[in-house]
Amino acid sequence: MWKKGLTLATASIILASAAVNVYAASGRDYISIVGSSTVYPFATTVAEQFGKTSKFKTPKIESTGSGGGMKLFCAGSDIDTPDITNASRRIKFSEYEKCQKNGVNEIVEVKIGYDGIVLANSKAAPQMTLSKKDIFFALAKEVPDPQGGEKLIANPYTTWKEVNPSLPDTKIEVLGPPPTSGTRDAFVELAMEGGCSKVDWIKALKETDKKYYKSVCHTVREDGAYVEAGENDNLIVQKLEANPKALGIFGFSFLDQNGDKIQGSVVEGELPTFENIAAGKYPVSRPLYFYVKKSHVGVVPGMTEFLGEFINDKAWGEEGYLSDKGLIPMPAEERKQFAADVVALKPLVMSK
Amino acid sequence: MQAEKRETTMDRVSKGLARRYRRERWFRLFGLSAIVTSVCFIALLFVSIGANGWSAFQQTEVLLDIHFDKEQFDVDNLSTANYGALVKNSMQALFPDVTGRSDKRELNKLVSSGASYVLQKMVIKDTGIIGSTKKIWLPADDEVDMFLKGYISRDVAESARRLNDKQIGWIDQLVAEGRLEKKFNTIFFTAGDSREPELAGIRGAVAGSLFTLAVTLLLSFPIGVATAVYLEEFAPRNRWTDLVEVNINNLAAVPSIVFGLLGLAVFLNVFGMPRSAPLVGGLVLTLMTLPTIIIASRASLKSVPPSIREAALGVGASKMQAITHHILPLAMPGMMTGTIIGMAQALGETAPLLMIGMVAFIVDVPHGVTDPATVLPVQIYLWADSPERAFVERTSAAIMVLLGFLISMNAIAVFLRRKFERRW
Amino acid sequence: MESMSAVLTTGETPFLGAYSMTQEKVRQEDKAPRENRMTVGVPFVDDARMTCRGVNVYYGEKHAINNVSIDVGRNEVLAMIGPSGCGKSTFLRCLNRMNDTVEGCRVEGDIQLDELNIYDKSVDVVPLRAQVGMVFQKPNPFPKSIYDNVAYGPKIHGLASSRAELDEVVESSLKKAGLWSEVSDRLDQPGTGLSGGQQQRLCIARAIAVRPEVILMDEPCSALDPIATATVEDLISELQEQYTIVIVTHNMQQAARVSQRTAYFHLGDLIEVGSTDRIFTNPRHRLTEDYITGRFG
Repeated sequence: MWKKGLTLATASIILASAAVNVYAASGRDYISIVGSSTVYPFATTVAEQFGKTSKFKTPKIESTGSGGGMKLFCAGSDIDTPDITNASRRIKFSEYEKCQKNGVNEIVEVKIGYDGIVLANSKAAPQMTLSKKDIFFALAKEVPDPQGGEKLIANPYTTWKEVNPSLPDTKIEVLGPPPTSGTRDAFVELAMEGGCSKVDWIKALKETDKKYYKSVCHTVREDGAYVEAGENDNLIVQKLEANPKALGIFGFSFLDQNGDKIQGSVVEGELPTFENIAAGKYPVSRPLYFYVKKSHVGVVPGMTEFLGEFINDKAWGEEGYLSDKGLIPMPAEERKQFAADVVALKPLVMSK
Repeated sequence: MQAEKRETTMDRVSKGLARRYRRERWFRLFGLSAIVTSVCFIALLFVSIGANGWSAFQQTEVLLDIHFDKEQFDVDNLSTANYGALVKNSMQALFPDVTGRSDKRELNKLVSSGASYVLQKMVIKDTGIIGSTKKIWLPADDEVDMFLKGYISRDVAESARRLNDKQIGWIDQLVAEGRLEKKFNTIFFTAGDSREPELAGIRGAVAGSLFTLAVTLLLSFPIGVATAVYLEEFAPRNRWTDLVEVNINNLAAVPSIVFGLLGLAVFLNVFGMPRSAPLVGGLVLTLMTLPTIIIASRASLKSVPPSIREAALGVGASKMQAITHHILPLAMPGMMTGTIIGMAQALGETAPLLMIGMVAFIVDVPHGVTDPATVLPVQIYLWADSPERAFVERTSAAIMVLLGFLISMNAIAVFLRRKFERRW
Repeated sequence: MESMSAVLTTGETPFLGAYSMTQEKVRQEDKAPRENRMTVGVPFVDDARMTCRGVNVYYGEKHAINNVSIDVGRNEVLAMIGPSGCGKSTFLRCLNRMNDTVEGCRVEGDIQLDELNIYDKSVDVVPLRAQVGMVFQKPNPFPKSIYDNVAYGPKIHGLASSRAELDEVVESSLKKAGLWSEVSDRLDQPGTGLSGGQQQRLCIARAIAVRPEVILMDEPCSALDPIATATVEDLISELQEQYTIVIVTHNMQQAARVSQRTAYFHLGDLIEVGSTDRIFTNPRHRLTEDYITGRFG
């Protein structure tokens, strides 16, 4: 028994190292994709289509978050680094710089469409009509003193009615993603900052003390009115169903799939519908991207073909299968523009 | 006098007796209620998972008359021919009065996009069917599946459900014709992951779990047993071995994500092993399970009576002979139990695998330890986070499969213990 | 005389005094006083199989055996008696270096088996233990078959070249241990399934299967009932013809029954050694007298 175990272990170590050697020698025969969990459902759908209809292997897609994906992507241009990273926001200049520094010189940026971030509640409760300013006053950690003056106080509001007399007299209770989430980043930037800048003296801060301005507009209250419900959006949907008083924040695709249970709130007079987001009317929507390592095109088999699958109208077009999954397509003009960039593999140039 | 005295002693004893028995009863009652409570929780867990998940073992399929039109096929295009068109044509034939582009689109949505892959496989397997017409059961779309299973109600407003009134009308018609039925979901057990719930299966995850556990077992069992034997039988008792012992016990309590970070830093970055591979997953889980195995192995070595050791040494066995001939065989059941418990732990682990890229969308079923793969708990995690409602039941079904594995592993542990246990 | 020279070289001067010279009943006032810790009596023999000179054993800081010198004669049964914790078992375990396995145990002095110091660096414990076998307090057969129990020693030492030879060794050992008639039809049954007395005889058979010169027995009957004890005691008397036996016992009657010489230990000191008859009838040390007359111990 004892000796057998020892022999087996030795054998397995030898086998394993042999396998690694083979792997290192032959390179990779599948595309490796990392990045945002928001883009994940779309990227995986394209990957699966690609895998089933082409002679190439199905790409491997890891859901690492936008930031995590960038870190892996920009780590270098070796064959064992990812070929593509998904992002639910644009690449940051600091990330771009890091890429350049690590020898990832040519990156192709591809915008794939839009995602709406919705505030929704149970169908058992009345639909909410909110403005960005309402959202800011209801959820920020510190708000301007209602007594007047350019002074911030800890958020005193406990019901929606206190925030805005036209809103129902229910407790403020919002379930949303944690700070590690791209959805949260986008929500804070688009909805909260949008409402925050409606206050003139805070808006003025933007010019004078940008850091302070950001901390005022981007800090979500921590006194229990905003509940971090984890990254799992399905869980938020379930909780909303159980608690009709609560509001939830998540991506449009979850509203799309659960339209019989929950309803989106009107923000700035617009309902979060497919059409409104696509037309750019709904204010809390963000573009989704992926970035391609140009040096891997032609090295990893199937890269060109995979990009071709993605920029096909069959996938990202108005009637494409990605729209079934909840992706809001770009206008035809924009699609054409990015498709041309992809075909030409035009590298991204960023400057500070 | 004497008699009286004795009586009072007895009296005292019997006075206390009632209290002693009462205490015993209370203690037993407490133990029993603890067990009942935990059994209730387990039952609740099993029932809720079962209730959610059992329906995933059935999948709605639609019976179509597919005409393998000769015109669609060339010699070279068997894999790329327009199979979707074959499905669309047969749907069209079933509902000839559906016209208009958008209506046709709605109609075609009732059949899974995976239907064309089923046809593709059939044709590649047997080119002889080209030109014939066959009745074939094909997977229906997940929305249809959810509707038939009662998860989508026809009573809510049309705008609030993902099937419109027309589509429900067609579904009713298909059901009436006997062309729409729930069948055993073989895809769930034979396919890899998919973004379409009706095409998603756990085979890829199961294979990934098996490869990962194989690597873990092959490494952690011999290393763990060797470590335990060395520490227990050979190592001198001094400050260094104390330090090693304390650290092993500490490692058992380290959050598993830390092992993932270690794996990322060492195996991926230093040794350059592939990301997402069961090999690396197995190595990381080996690190994680080693403390468990070492501690269990040491305990079972300790439990071997010293008289056996003395008996062996007394007839002139060398230390190594005493260990391999007598102590190890006696300690083996305990070691195997510890190993299987460690393996079961490893089977349910996701956090360390996140760091080494095994939390990924992988469609192809892995065929080796260096193929990209995911594991069962990761698959559950990924499905739980998918927006499509049909993934809810599949998540529960995958949990049932995972629980099945865990229960059978523990059963094996019990069996091995019974089988090899020896009295002395 | 050889043994005396060994004494001198190790600087050991046993307290023999006037008492040891006479065979007559020693008067009470002439007995060695209780404070006396030097060995009284005749610890040395002319034809010694094992000689121990100035043996000290330490368990860490604890001095467990204090300067003990004694011989074990050829084909004799030497009984070691004394109250609990007196060090008799510890001393016994020095004779085949079983103390090596005890953490923190240190042995000083000179123990020779056939004129070879067994604590010498060049001595390998494995063959030593084949020469000096051991039977333990509690019967400890391996959880294997009766056959495998007896065959284990010969197998690891390569004493049998064929299966037939091994069978023979097993049979003769079991016969010598007086167990053959009881187990010959169930050699493949587990040794742990035998009764206590049978198990202990099985352990003796296991020890003699490797043909040792000396057999050490550490209270071999303490876990046995009187009938099994009597059987084992008879066996010891028979084995004496071929082997040298050192037996530690709590039971003074047993020592009187089976041994030729008796050594009395007290708190790590060897108090008195002499022929068994003499020790029990005419002790020369007050401590020995106290013990055998049941005043303590």
